[in-house]
Amino acid sequence: MAQMAKVKFVWRIVGLVVAGVFIYAGVVKAFDPIRFASDIDNYKILPWAMSVRLAFYLPWLEIFCGIALIARRLYVGGLSLLTALVLIFLVATIAAKVRGLDITCGCFGHASQNWSFSGHLALDLVILAALLALYFKVTSENRLQNAV
Amino acid sequence: MRQALVLAALALLPGIGQAIYFRDKVSWQSPIPASEMVTVAQARAWDGNAIWVDARPDAEFERDHVPDAVPLNEDRWNELLPQFLATWSPEKRVVVYCSSQSCNASREVARRLREEAQLKNVFVLQGGWEEWLKWRK
Repeated sequence: MAQMAKVKFVWRIVGLVVAGVFIYAGVVKAFDPIRFASDIDNYKILPWAMSVRLAFYLPWLEIFCGIALIARRLYVGGLSLLTALVLIFLVATIAAKVRGLDITCGCFGHASQNWSFSGHLALDLVILAALLALYFKVTSENRLQNAV
Repeated sequence: MRQALVLAALALLPGIGQAIYFRDKVSWQSPIPASEMVTVAQARAWDGNAIWVDARPDAEFERDHVPDAVPLNEDRWNELLPQFLATWSPEKRVVVYCSSQSCNASREVARRLREEAQLKNVFVLQGGWEEWLKWRK
């Protein structure tokens, strides 16, 4: 029983850390949406008009998903959206690298502007792994509950 | 799926609110208005009437830079800005460049020079350092 409580506690901490990362990233970008629009534009995937609109929306999506993870309300929805965001970002980052673009990821606003490509990639993969682990854990729990 | 849609819809509300707040502060159709961009040919034509500002990291500036360019990057903004201002005069145009067309630093430095240092006649070099190198050959 104590072992189970410990495991549950560890999962809760993982969820809180992931939520904290996204809330922080969202808040930093929400404070400077124009800069974030430039960062999105740098990937040369979307037209500026779309980049600037996304710059006003994505930070809030990250913040709300992070809050959902902490509050454990709309939890699976939050995990799904964040996983999708990280996957899209990973593909965009790799594509930019392949095309030789000199990009600033903008993930954490000004704080991340000097991170190396491998640094970005490593952090994203760790976050993606944590999100997937949380997602599979909660969906398997839900399946078990439904079976009972 | 329903949960994701609810979250996506919730995030729209502050996003729209913020976009309305910023509606006059952001250029919605182009990252830099054409009037704030300058080509290498135009900037070279200004000759002694322009100050070149290198927004790249220090290491890249030290490796090579436009003759007489002044380093001004965001890493050492507070330290370098006074040095830049010492060379600036109101009649001179400021041409900011970074490494290439896709880099962001020149836009940011130009924006901060306009907003924080209240300078006018600040331009971003199209194509950046890469474009300059083509002209130098």
